[in-house]
Amino acid sequence: MKLGLVIDLDVCVGCHGCAVACKQWNTSGTTGPLTDTDAYGAEPSGVWFNRIRSYEVGDYPHNKTVHFPMSCMHCEDAACVTVCPTGASWKRQEDGIVLVDQDKCMGCNLCSWACPYGARELDPASGTMKKCTLCIDRIYDERLPVEERQPACVLTCPAHARHFGDFDDPESDVSRLTRERSGYALMPEMGYKPTNKYLPPRQKRTVDTSDVARGGVRDKLKAWVNRVVAR
Amino acid sequence: MAGFEKIPDFAKELPQFEPRDKQQTHFTTCYMCACRCGIEVTVEDNKVRFIRGNRNHPVNRGVMCGKGNAGIMKQYSPAKLKGPLRRKPGSERGSGEFEEISWDEALNELTARLQKIRETDPKKLAFFTGRDQMQALTGLWATQFGTINWAAHGGFCSVNMAAAGLYMLGHAFWEFGDPDWDRTKYFMLWGVAEDHASNPIKIGLEKLKRNGGKFVAINPVRTGYQAIADEWVPIRPGTDGMLALSMVHVLLSRELVDFDFLIRYTNAPWLVVNTQGQKGDGLILRDENGKPLAWDLEKEAFVDATQAEIKPATFGEYTAPDGRPVRTVMTVLVEKYLDEQYAPENAAKICGVPAEQIERMALEIAHVAFKETITVDVEWTDWAGRKHDKFIGRPVSMHAMRGISAHSNGFQAARAIHLLQTLLGTIDCPGGFRAKAPYPKHVPPPIKPAREMAPNTPLKSPPLGFPTGPEDLVIDADGNPLRLDKAYSWDAPVAAHGMMHMVITNAVKGDPYPIDTLILFMANMAWNSTMNTKSVQEMLREKGDDGEYKIPYLVVSDAFHSEMVNFADLVLPDTTYLERYDTISLLDRPISEPDAICDSVRIPVLEPDRDVRSWQEVMVDLAGRLKFPAFTGEDGQPKFSGYKEFITQWEKAPGIGFLAGWRGKDGEKSLRGEPNPNQWEKYKENGAFFEYHLPESTRFYKFANKEYLELAKEAGFNGSSEPIIFELYSEALQKFRLAGQGLYDGPMPTREEDKERLTNWFDPLPIFYVPLEEQRIDTDKYTFHAVNQRPMLMYHSWDSQNAWLRQILAQNFLYMNRSRALKMGIEDGAWVWVESHNGKIRVQVKLMEGVQEDTVWTWNAIGKQGGAWGLSADAPEAARGFLMNHLISELLPPKEGSRDITNSDPITGQAAWYDLRVKITPAAPGETGSWPQFDTVKPLPGAKPSPSEVRHQSHEAVNLVRPIDDVLSRGAK
Amino acid sequence: MHPALSVIFFTVTSGAGYGLFILLALAHVFGIGDPLTVGEFYTAGILSLVMITAGLLSSTFHLANPKNAWRAVMRFRTSWLSREGVFAIAFYPFAVLYMLGFYINGLELGVPCILFALIGALIALITVFTTGMIYGSLKTIPQWSTSLTPANYILLGLASGATFFTAIRALAGSEVGTIAALAVALVAIAAIGKVIYYFWIGRESITINTATGFTRAVVRLLDTGHTCDTFLNREFGHTIDCAKVGLLRGVVYLLAFALPIILLAMIATQNGGSGLALLAAISIYLGTGVERWLFFAEAKHVVNLYHGRQSC
Repeated sequence: MKLGLVIDLDVCVGCHGCAVACKQWNTSGTTGPLTDTDAYGAEPSGVWFNRIRSYEVGDYPHNKTVHFPMSCMHCEDAACVTVCPTGASWKRQEDGIVLVDQDKCMGCNLCSWACPYGARELDPASGTMKKCTLCIDRIYDERLPVEERQPACVLTCPAHARHFGDFDDPESDVSRLTRERSGYALMPEMGYKPTNKYLPPRQKRTVDTSDVARGGVRDKLKAWVNRVVAR
Repeated sequence: MAGFEKIPDFAKELPQFEPRDKQQTHFTTCYMCACRCGIEVTVEDNKVRFIRGNRNHPVNRGVMCGKGNAGIMKQYSPAKLKGPLRRKPGSERGSGEFEEISWDEALNELTARLQKIRETDPKKLAFFTGRDQMQALTGLWATQFGTINWAAHGGFCSVNMAAAGLYMLGHAFWEFGDPDWDRTKYFMLWGVAEDHASNPIKIGLEKLKRNGGKFVAINPVRTGYQAIADEWVPIRPGTDGMLALSMVHVLLSRELVDFDFLIRYTNAPWLVVNTQGQKGDGLILRDENGKPLAWDLEKEAFVDATQAEIKPATFGEYTAPDGRPVRTVMTVLVEKYLDEQYAPENAAKICGVPAEQIERMALEIAHVAFKETITVDVEWTDWAGRKHDKFIGRPVSMHAMRGISAHSNGFQAARAIHLLQTLLGTIDCPGGFRAKAPYPKHVPPPIKPAREMAPNTPLKSPPLGFPTGPEDLVIDADGNPLRLDKAYSWDAPVAAHGMMHMVITNAVKGDPYPIDTLILFMANMAWNSTMNTKSVQEMLREKGDDGEYKIPYLVVSDAFHSEMVNFADLVLPDTTYLERYDTISLLDRPISEPDAICDSVRIPVLEPDRDVRSWQEVMVDLAGRLKFPAFTGEDGQPKFSGYKEFITQWEKAPGIGFLAGWRGKDGEKSLRGEPNPNQWEKYKENGAFFEYHLPESTRFYKFANKEYLELAKEAGFNGSSEPIIFELYSEALQKFRLAGQGLYDGPMPTREEDKERLTNWFDPLPIFYVPLEEQRIDTDKYTFHAVNQRPMLMYHSWDSQNAWLRQILAQNFLYMNRSRALKMGIEDGAWVWVESHNGKIRVQVKLMEGVQEDTVWTWNAIGKQGGAWGLSADAPEAARGFLMNHLISELLPPKEGSRDITNSDPITGQAAWYDLRVKITPAAPGETGSWPQFDTVKPLPGAKPSPSEVRHQSHEAVNLVRPIDDVLSRGAK
Repeated sequence: MHPALSVIFFTVTSGAGYGLFILLALAHVFGIGDPLTVGEFYTAGILSLVMITAGLLSSTFHLANPKNAWRAVMRFRTSWLSREGVFAIAFYPFAVLYMLGFYINGLELGVPCILFALIGALIALITVFTTGMIYGSLKTIPQWSTSLTPANYILLGLASGATFFTAIRALAGSEVGTIAALAVALVAIAAIGKVIYYFWIGRESITINTATGFTRAVVRLLDTGHTCDTFLNREFGHTIDCAKVGLLRGVVYLLAFALPIILLAMIATQNGGSGLALLAAISIYLGTGVERWLFFAEAKHVVNLYHGRQSC
């Protein structure tokens, strides 16, 4: 299996729901807690697995705003795993999820250096690297209803801009969406074969007005004619 | 995908990550904003594990936004109040010196004070509430107390939106109506800054885009929802009304209107008296029974316009039996909007939107409405009993919010948008703008605001209502305001939500009269929920010659240590949303959907660990102590043991109570039925909400749908099942205008400026006018419009203390159009002075593409007073964040010969805080940090310092261990 | 990239230490220059081990969870950091045996001694190479992702080692013409390597457009999604302005290359004494420190593209 996410840039409105849901689930999850520092002070910071950046494409007034959530891409050829000296970082053979074994990590940061996507953040309290687990502690949980065996970010997304599934299965939603909407990977030139895919904004819809555009009466009021309509 | 139906074999070897045996799940309602999503809260050892959307809930269908997901950090905020507090005797108000007292002491003190007021002069109590959504209860409480000085925050939120809708359609944007997301093909979003409503709009926009619909966003700023629009219209703030009316002009000039709809469901064929300069001019021609008249084309006679089967003329001028000239509403309307002033070329100059674009958009909506018409093949019966085999849908829909409403021309602008919708026939039809129960109501809802007060006596009607003429104003015989906020006076005759923003100013000035006690619930009026923050703080501290505070007694109920709490004489600590019972009632602002009548509740999921009580509970307690009739039994003792019992037992009318679900003794009745003592349990079983699915035949055209209208009457939504007729032309407004012209039989203003305001702005048809502040200042000096937007991840001030959300946003910037700023020599990150007629602030600039060139904007309510909300003195919110509020005056700029007039919509009293005009100059080198700065709020007694490190965890993590042979044996992959 | 002092100290000091050891071993085994004295041998040998060890210890300060440092040898199969660890450890027995052999046999070169010396030197060279490869293998940092990176590490290690070796011998009063000449050559080659490197990193290939996939118009960051710094900003967000880069590169050219070459050349041509040799060693050590600081400071991690940087 090749589990991963599809993120639809056409509908993401930048609410940060996915990021906070992730924070919420994972702070009590398998690699939790996700430490926050200076929480009420001058430099509030903390460990997040998912961050949303916003970009503007083009110049005013032809600009478009794009909200861009980023988390671990669960690369097929994950450089973060390659460079890890301790073996704490690993990619599961069964489902392709990239994880950090919290008991093994020595906090050298090299994996975060190797990751082009900023997907890994060091927890200053535990001294270990933490990252998206694709909610491995949710997706296989038989005690959850079927619909909820999904990553917290996908479950919560109000715009349904996030989809979870198996890219090895050509019939899965994620495979189909990637195919139909020209899903693309970020920085493919790195050669890490990221599993997650991004759906580009759709083409703008145009509305044909030729069938209503006729007329343009300038001498208008006289042209109005009462029509008999029963109330 | 729906998740693994069959758990793969390999996954069965995974450890049990969650201690499920220690976890319980509870359903309740989110309160991280006003959207009211259903949530499921997983609790473990009285600690919150996870809050997720309730999959079955009608509002959010399982999803949740950034705010909702951060509920844990609200629950564990160090700023939570711990117990009742009293300002230390001898200390100055606002100095932050408090002493801890018991609830008994607090309530005894408050009861004694309130009792005295109620026995003598009930209006000396002013009770104003913030974003509470429990106005049915607070309003009832004020009514029972006998004070008309009550309102919620609608006066600076969205009254323009609500009132415009209710005076034209009987329903309105947001809580009263929704686009038909499933069917709409063209959606226009006007002035919506990422909220109102939060998740439903996100869910809807995705559906719209998936279905191939077009999304047009009209907003000077391109963030949030606007980001994903197919077309962004960067309009100049405060000119939306003109844009809508110009589109009306285009539609009318091409005859692109739905005549059948207009004739059947609107007052377009009604006849208007045309006797300029005479009494009665502009009123509707009526018969002796007060019925409006129309001209029947077949009968060639005047007929009762509300009858079925008449064939009324849409156009034409006639002579009434009494000899007065009359013409149809539609004639007046067409004549008005075909005027060249509304032509796209002229509108373009005002709105900053190219004429071709205005024309194209108008034609696009016309195309979708008339050439992409849809039908829903369901048989239904109209108000006159006629059967129809289908609902015809014109799949154009719209939604609007604060960008329209927070201007002094917002009421008319919102009406202009509704006019556009109505001309296309897109109201409550498939694909259009649908009503949500208990709306639509009759136009306007037949409730008049209370005027008379007497000691120890409840009011005869609620404090807020809908005037239909000057005789309904809440003024004395001399025309002076009776309400403290001057709502329903000549300042703002249709102030249907009150004018909370004027309360402190008026009370301190003693204009119209001084008060004794001000109770504020959940309203941060000493900071971001006020105009002119600094002077409001000064006013709260102001004393009279007698050494007494101008507002003698200030009671604040809040759950957190807000800036307002710092100014209280008595602090009543509220619970968090996870610790309380609450109702989101059909008597108030419910959670209904177009297809279902819904209400919901909050049920505590955690035991409070502090000495706090929910405000609902305190109100019911106080009502008993003060012996309000509705809360007192025949034995003279309090009737209800508490809020829970009050909710199930109290009836507004026989069978109608706060909750509509599971009524009747055994809970077998919906909407109406006798009280059910087990109602709360039923709600709990059902996931904390009630959903009554409307039969398919009642889902559309509710305003004229017999079956629905009868249901609405039975459910107590409407007093009668008469059809609801849309008032394109508002006779109520015309009555006020006549009063301004001195042509009315009834109360009339005496001051010139009042006459002028009524004459100019109370047009019975939607108009555009330049916002009032702009009319009084030098626009060559104050070249920029300045507006506030709410970020999607925070709601007012509620969550800047939230340890997670403030990591995302702890400092706001002044956003400027990049090329415009660079031309002024202002670089990204520069500090600038922003100056209005009312004051100046120093702020940091961020440049962006997505903002109209003449507009600057910022995120609302991010700036904080250091020390409040558990924040450190040097928190970014305090040191670099800012409030635009300092620049906004609650009064219009002074004008020769005019008294002080509220900076509000002249019709509804909606605070016009988006009218702000400013001048921007670079700060001197070295001038950094936001200004003005405020003293750091002192910690409350017994408060622990906020933690530096937060490591929330409901249970010890179960690490997934990588097998050692895997470590040693795996290759490069 | 954030220039972490512990890592800079580590790479500079242990690099020089390995270089010194290699020079010592080669000079010893192949009799380069005048015969070594016992004192020189001990000074050079012990100094090299001290520098290597101090560097390695310093590198552990960079670890957030050093109690797991021992696990770093586990992923030799793929991780250059792991390989570095393994070689760093493997170096010690050979170095110690070499020194021990010397202790037992004196300057007399036996076969085992030659073997230990050469294997030790080879491992030292490999260790410096693996250090370079830790950085050189990171495609995420275009300025590092080149074979010039390990080449620079090796050349600078050898150059500073040679300079140190020259200084030790000069201070001991030996004739150091040959070894100084060798040092001049090594410093010169290192300088050429570095010049090429600085030229090479001038180009920026990955842009915010390719990173986001929006290639048809200008892309600008509107919001990072956080107000204050995150781990990512602190680790990767370090920026340095052009003027400072120019200045510091000048310092590198001067201290790491020009001055040592001049001083060493003077020594090689019998125009200077031991003081100049010491000055050369101090100069190249400081110069390499600045070079290493710049190596990090000038490196632009591609994640910065997502934080608004236009190209990397």
